[in-house]
Amino acid sequence: MNDSDESAGLIDTVRQAASSAVVLRITGGDSKKRLGNRISADATDQAFSTLSHTGIISYEPTELVVSVRAGTPLQRLNQVLDDAGQMLAFEPPEFPGSTIGGVLACGMSGPRRPFNGSARDYVLGTRIINGQGQDLSFGGEVMKNVAGYDVSRLQVGAWGTLGVLLDVSMKVLPRPEAEMTLVQDANAEDTQSFISLLRQPWPLSGAMLLDNRRYLRLSGSEASVRAAARELGGEAPDTEDAGIWQSVRDQSHHYFLDRSEGQTLWRISVADHAPELALQGEWLHEWAGAQRWVKTRQSADEVFQAARSAGGHAIRYDEGPAGEPAFQPLEGAMLRLQSRIRDSFDRERLFNRGRFHPELDAGQSYPTAGST
Amino acid sequence: MSAEPVAATSAESAPHEHLPVDEPPDEDVRARRLAQRRRYAVELRRLLPDDAVLSSEEELRPYESDGLTALKATPLLVVLPETIEQVQQIMRWARDHSVPVVARGAGTGLSGGALPHEDGVLLGLAKFNRILELDPSRGFARVQPGVRNLAISDAARPHGLYYAPDPSSQIACTIGGNVAENAGGVHCLKYGLTVHNVLSVTVVTIDGDLITLGSEGHDSAGYDLLALITGSEGMLAVVVEVIVKLLPVPPVARLLMAAFDSVEAAGDAVGRVIAAGIIPAGLELMDKPAIIAADAFAQCGYPTDAAALLLCELDGTEEEVVSQIQQVSDVFSGARAASLHVAQSEEERLLLWKGRKSAFPAVGRLAPDYYCIDGTIPRRQLSHVLQRMEQLSSEYGLPIANVFHAGDGNLHPLIMFDAGKPGELHRTEELGSRILQLCVEVGGTVTGEHGVGLEKINEMCVQFDAATLTQFHAVKAAFDPDGLLNPGKAVPTLQRCAEFGAMHVHHGELPFPELERF
Repeated sequence: MNDSDESAGLIDTVRQAASSAVVLRITGGDSKKRLGNRISADATDQAFSTLSHTGIISYEPTELVVSVRAGTPLQRLNQVLDDAGQMLAFEPPEFPGSTIGGVLACGMSGPRRPFNGSARDYVLGTRIINGQGQDLSFGGEVMKNVAGYDVSRLQVGAWGTLGVLLDVSMKVLPRPEAEMTLVQDANAEDTQSFISLLRQPWPLSGAMLLDNRRYLRLSGSEASVRAAARELGGEAPDTEDAGIWQSVRDQSHHYFLDRSEGQTLWRISVADHAPELALQGEWLHEWAGAQRWVKTRQSADEVFQAARSAGGHAIRYDEGPAGEPAFQPLEGAMLRLQSRIRDSFDRERLFNRGRFHPELDAGQSYPTAGST
Repeated sequence: MSAEPVAATSAESAPHEHLPVDEPPDEDVRARRLAQRRRYAVELRRLLPDDAVLSSEEELRPYESDGLTALKATPLLVVLPETIEQVQQIMRWARDHSVPVVARGAGTGLSGGALPHEDGVLLGLAKFNRILELDPSRGFARVQPGVRNLAISDAARPHGLYYAPDPSSQIACTIGGNVAENAGGVHCLKYGLTVHNVLSVTVVTIDGDLITLGSEGHDSAGYDLLALITGSEGMLAVVVEVIVKLLPVPPVARLLMAAFDSVEAAGDAVGRVIAAGIIPAGLELMDKPAIIAADAFAQCGYPTDAAALLLCELDGTEEEVVSQIQQVSDVFSGARAASLHVAQSEEERLLLWKGRKSAFPAVGRLAPDYYCIDGTIPRRQLSHVLQRMEQLSSEYGLPIANVFHAGDGNLHPLIMFDAGKPGELHRTEELGSRILQLCVEVGGTVTGEHGVGLEKINEMCVQFDAATLTQFHAVKAAFDPDGLLNPGKAVPTLQRCAEFGAMHVHHGELPFPELERF
């Protein structure tokens, strides 16, 4: 794979789109095609890929910082970090073809999230193209930086609607010396059992509940992992469960692949201590109960209602019927504020119009080409 | 990342002029302000209890500056609300009358972020000082913004929990201010900054809307406004409630102290620790002037003949810490440490930290005044930056002591000076500005944790280009379209940068020196 700085061409494309009011559908490896809202493809919409903008710009293991172009395959970045004994500590899901730009735009984190932090926590700086085709840099390659608003972290999970990610700098961490998985029998309803674990200083790096089994992952020095395993108890994973953290993270586990008739997969984000949600379906609790997957036949409205009443929010992970939102709808003062933030980066809604929260794109008059 | 900054960076300095905020205004302005003060006091006393509105000169004086005492200004009024509804009413009133609002916590900030606006209202949040809920099983505390940082950990400790960010001012600074500045501390290499330790923040906007950003879960719908509000220096909204994450207190914490014959050797040792795959809980570097000052102040047993000192704290389970202490000792020995010492007791560990944490007041005893700088640099640039600083120090004839959050590259040079000597404050500020420009030159930033405030507003023009500054202003306008929250701080106007840059071109010769600037 050749490194290539395609930023000039990408900026040029956005400028042309801005002057002709063409909506850009941003893609990287196109590995998250089924996620987000379906866009009724307008004839004038244009696919816009960052995939060729690729390569590691700089990597200094002793500085714990890596800077990469957005189109860099996640697999390649992980390999380079692994060779130096380091890792992305937010452990992002790796779908076939995933790029680092896509992972950050969708704000995705893996099993370590509750213990080590999220994708946005590790972002130090970004270079983006805004809706006017301007080339802007925020943050930098240093860990502590409060000069200007934290626009870099704001980009994470914005689904490209606040700009096109060109380059990102992230903090990386050393890989733990030792890692061990424990499997314990558990009651599927007993999500609260994680709570007491979390308030103790165990060297945890994963905690999930699936099919009446509780899975714990320990990370740290050999000695501390062994000592914790002795106290916590449990079995080593059997052959069926080998590699379970990775298969759940990457959604290649059978839980994520199989659907019964009429089921839709949802991700529900709540407090780890939130009670059971009143939804019928098959559950998988990750993040010690803070990230809950459910395959259900219930309607989007019912899922959103259940998530809201538990103080959380839901995202649909399957393609859904046209017009039914994939993200928990925003309302009231929050909707007004977020719409104005979208305005401030992409007033004409060039980027991924309709893909994220369509309510942020609604009620807006889109000036035609050349009106600015 | 190639864009041209608004002001050119070169070794030559531009005079660093601050807003002439303490110059006496002319008679007309004074009369207009007095009339406004009377009128606004009457209006605000309709919304608030009488004693929540301060309007006399004596009452206003304690609020005229924050921790950056070189800058002073008297606000029109100080308001001290005690309910969220009152904050909402004040904000709506301010919007309707186009009156600037500056929020203030404990006033310990070091960049002038809480400096009052002379035509505005200072919104003091001191009465919001209650811990509303501390739930050990759910692992969080819900607190009002005026609660002191250390008070949260004190309340959590009986449950085996604590709040991780520990800025040096933690005994006095408040959580609302910590959110505004994204405060760090000596343990942030491992445990993160405020942004990593806050679950949600409830704010009041200039429209009086009450909005909760973040949630008790790990994310929330739409944009990550929690990340955006953290470190936004009171420019976007006023924080009225915070939910912080509480972590289990590590069972064991040990401190390793290593002396080195040169700062370079100590810097190299830091890189080797990281390369060995160890993230210490704290990793602090002091140079010789700082070691001597801190030891004289705290009598903590530092090796005062050392050129540089590293304090390395390791925490976790007993097994983890024992193995890491051994690893780090080996690394330091391999990096030519002149001496190595592990604190033998909890008392000694705390005493060794006391030296480091009192470095600022300690340096304060060596000179009538000191000025604290807050740049961050890539750690590999440390030797180069220290050499350049030494040159600058002799050029200006002002000694500098250095304390350094070595793990994360955050440098705090302390410039010693005498404000009683004519022109010395001005030269000190100019030297500080040169140091910050040096940080930007080597790929760093003008502020790691103290904020831009008003202090570093000019240096922002060096770090960012016009388009990026314009984007910052657009983000601000999304929250505060009329620019009423903390006006003039954090992000410079392009006009101001043009003037700063223009002065630069003239090699320090001010055009029209008789004019007031900015």
